[in-house]
Amino acid sequence: MTGPRDPRRPGGGPGGASGGRRSRPQPRGRATPAAGRPRTGTNRAAGRPNPPRTPRGDAASERERPRPTPGERAVGTAGAALRAALRRPFRRGNPKRRLNAGILCMVVVLLIFGARLVQIQGFEAAAYAQKAEESRLQDTQIPAMRGDITDAEGNPLAMTVETRTVFVDPTRVLPEERAAVIELLATELGRPVEEITEHVDAAPSQYQVVARDVPTEQAERILEHDLGGIATERDFQRRYPNGEVAANLVGFVGADGSGLEGLEYSLEDTLAGTPGEQRVEIADGVPIPMAGGLVREPVPGGDVRLTLDRDIQWHAQNALAQQVEELGASSGSVVVMDLDQRLLALANYPTYNLDDVEASTPEQRRNGAVADTFEPGSTNKVITAAAALEEGLITPETEFTVPYSITRHGSTFSDSSFHPTENLTATGIMAHSSNTGTVQIAEEVGAETLHSYLTDFGFAQETGLGLPGESPGVLHPVEDWWGTSLATISYGQGLSVNAVQAASVYATVANGGVRVQPSIVAGATGPDGRFRSAPAPEERRVISEETADQLAYMLESVTTDEGTAPQAQIPGYRVAGKTGTAQRVNPETGSYEDGGHTSTFVGFAPADDPQVVVQVVIHDPPAEDPYGGPVAGPVFNDVMSFALQTLQVPPTETEAPDFQIYGGE
Amino acid sequence: MRPRLPAQAGRLDWVLIGAVGGLTLIGTLLVWSATHAEQLQLGASPQEYLWRHLVNVAIGAVLCAAVAMIDYRVLKAYALYAYALAIVALLLIFTPLGATINGSHSWVVFGPGLQLQPSELAKVALVLMLAWLLGEPHRDAGAPMTRDVLVSLAVLALPTVLIMLQPDLGTTLVIGAMFLGVLMLSGAPLAWVGGLVGAGIAGAFTVWQVGILEDYQVARFAAFADPSLDPRGAGYNVNQSMIAVGSGGVGGKGLFNGEQTSGQFVPEQHTDFIFTVAGEELGLFGAAAVIVLLGLVIWRMLTIGAQCADPYGRLIAAGVACWMTVQGVVCIGMTMGMMPVTGVPLPFVSYGGTATLAGLLALGLVLGVQSRVRTFE
Repeated sequence: MTGPRDPRRPGGGPGGASGGRRSRPQPRGRATPAAGRPRTGTNRAAGRPNPPRTPRGDAASERERPRPTPGERAVGTAGAALRAALRRPFRRGNPKRRLNAGILCMVVVLLIFGARLVQIQGFEAAAYAQKAEESRLQDTQIPAMRGDITDAEGNPLAMTVETRTVFVDPTRVLPEERAAVIELLATELGRPVEEITEHVDAAPSQYQVVARDVPTEQAERILEHDLGGIATERDFQRRYPNGEVAANLVGFVGADGSGLEGLEYSLEDTLAGTPGEQRVEIADGVPIPMAGGLVREPVPGGDVRLTLDRDIQWHAQNALAQQVEELGASSGSVVVMDLDQRLLALANYPTYNLDDVEASTPEQRRNGAVADTFEPGSTNKVITAAAALEEGLITPETEFTVPYSITRHGSTFSDSSFHPTENLTATGIMAHSSNTGTVQIAEEVGAETLHSYLTDFGFAQETGLGLPGESPGVLHPVEDWWGTSLATISYGQGLSVNAVQAASVYATVANGGVRVQPSIVAGATGPDGRFRSAPAPEERRVISEETADQLAYMLESVTTDEGTAPQAQIPGYRVAGKTGTAQRVNPETGSYEDGGHTSTFVGFAPADDPQVVVQVVIHDPPAEDPYGGPVAGPVFNDVMSFALQTLQVPPTETEAPDFQIYGGE
Repeated sequence: MRPRLPAQAGRLDWVLIGAVGGLTLIGTLLVWSATHAEQLQLGASPQEYLWRHLVNVAIGAVLCAAVAMIDYRVLKAYALYAYALAIVALLLIFTPLGATINGSHSWVVFGPGLQLQPSELAKVALVLMLAWLLGEPHRDAGAPMTRDVLVSLAVLALPTVLIMLQPDLGTTLVIGAMFLGVLMLSGAPLAWVGGLVGAGIAGAFTVWQVGILEDYQVARFAAFADPSLDPRGAGYNVNQSMIAVGSGGVGGKGLFNGEQTSGQFVPEQHTDFIFTVAGEELGLFGAAAVIVLLGLVIWRMLTIGAQCADPYGRLIAAGVACWMTVQGVVCIGMTMGMMPVTGVPLPFVSYGGTATLAGLLALGLVLGVQSRVRTFE
């Protein structure tokens, strides 16, 4: 469009349209806005066809700009190149476009938030509201008060008292009250100031227990001061007011208040009760019981009354401990029961104090009277005799030729001390506790029959007391008896029982042959305050009344001067009983050698109108004089005397018959 | 007084001021409501936080007005000093003056009632510094050069490291985003921005994998990167915040009537989690109002930046806008389970002395820019 001569001269050319070209020859000068702006496409288009004809000056000035760059490149170092690169300004992006993009992004994000808000608060609001309520409302347990355990007279052996746990929430103690809080707690609870200060300054902890088992009145006194940060919780404490009485029987509870040992464990269902549930609303971070929000009242546990007599128990424990310690024996048990086999005492040695369970050892906590089994020894002869009498094979007067020793199946059986061959009645065999005589009686009875009587008397069966750790002992099935089994079992070796089982045999005889299952619980007082007796224990006649009477007569002969246990005599009362001196299996060798002894005495009184049965077991008496009479007899005498007095059993004031010990008289 | 106001006062952006005022009003009510139950329970004055918050707002408003009146270009001269002061304050945290409050070691305590959060002040200083570095037309260039970007990166790195050591993920995110925003609007190519984001991720990953860090640093980093390692449990917080927000429904339960709020189920309800109080007590309308007001604030700030021909002023506005955006989005998003839980205050709403001052100072900067926008046209 424009003529080829147009760019020729700076001043020339028709109008400003050529100004664009004019600027080029001025490399160092700045293009004036007026000159630069009007540059148009047409100009450039016009310029293109003309380059060859550009004036020299123009060409030179055009080349001036590119020239320095190759020059620098050639001369400069790499650092210079880097400097150049660092100094190269960015071509600005369009900030407005980027800002608009930013605004758009923000709007999108905020719209998404809005949509989310509508989703949560609009569509899902009900679900969240319910969740909110659930998180605010909580069901907490209200502990139930545990029932007491008392003896037959109602003397408490274990009881629960309501106490308070005093705690501090350090985050809620006001700075201006801090000193007052520390002083109050220190004086009221009798704790060192430093200890309390430590608790009060323990933020951010919100729960610092200062004292447990604080009496309720004292805790309420502390709360009356109305100081922020101090609070109490209801709690229960288990107490054992007679801590040393029947500890092995009563047992104790754990930190959570549930039974761990003894009756506390076995009677858990009765004692524990049912915890209640309280619905609380969490407001201001603390649970607040809601009005009408009680879901379930706690049901307190039942109070259990035992058949035990605290005084007899205490006396039995002491008598046993004294004798065991005096003899240097290892352990022992005393069982006292009435004819219905209700336990009046269940004493053990060693024992412990329930007030200080932590200090006790497992051996001390063991309820040996049911947990320890032993070979009953001669006390078992009563069952051999009972079987023979009941089966009509002998009478108390039936005579036997009793040598010192006899041989059966290649084994020799002998009596405890040498004697010439004698002519003894069955009664005499009992009074002298003759092994060889008893073996002869057993041979008349036979293994099957003897086994069935042993079973009927409760051997190898649970006593029914349900005490933890109980061991039923061992009675092999008759098919497994070997040649000498009948002989040894007839005098109480080769089978084992616990003390309660052993006592039970004599209680059965004393009860005229009817065996009542042993029991310890008389009954329980439920939440309604009514006392309910324990279900009547099983009863079963084991031998006839006549047999029982004959056995009582035979057993009374034992405590005569002629018998093995004159130590058992109680002035004014007629006493029937039997000694036992059993060998113990040495656990290291599996034989009786060096296994020690178990000395027992079990009997009942008055012999002609029995009221009380006492069984004394002492393990590992001195080897030189392990006999049941002198070892266990004195304890029996002591405990039986005390029991008869305590139970106010009058003497029968009858004469003991003449006992026919020897045959042919 | 009025006659003495500078001429540009009449041209102030009243939409922006009104939006900030609305947020502050809502914030004041929410702070009051969020704290009164616990205060009552403590036996303290239920209005204590309300008064303290109002004092903070009043001081902040005065500072805001003062800064807005100063010609922002004058501030260029002080950017370096402000930056140095912020670094010193951040370093003080690691001296015995430093204190851990609410599990975060990000405080400097000068005495009872006088405590500062240097990382909040660092945001203001960084805005000024970055705008100066990237917004100053360099010599004849008219746009930042690669060297300027590298220098500004170094300027960013120093406070970032100090803040990460606290450790404070929230503030690190905010200043990082601020830098990217300023960089973008300074005219730097998008490749630079994208490259930096990529390099940052790659660098963090490398440091993590190579294991050059001490154990305690790794532990801090782990807590920093994975909020679920927070012993208080981020999952619990998110759950409880959503319950609080959701249970508010459309109408809300009314101020002081939020059971979840007064029950203190959500932690830090007067600061980082204040949006849950808005959600529960003010309902959908109240919570949406907060979002809309925040949107207005950011929109106005970005618009001011777009209107300002001077790169320095534009970058100040953009930096502040990025700051408010990130804090707002994180703070609101985490209460609705859309963002990881990181502790940052909701601008102009949350309680917090230094945060309130810093926010209003930043507002003053933007208003200063805005009132002088036309001087360049």
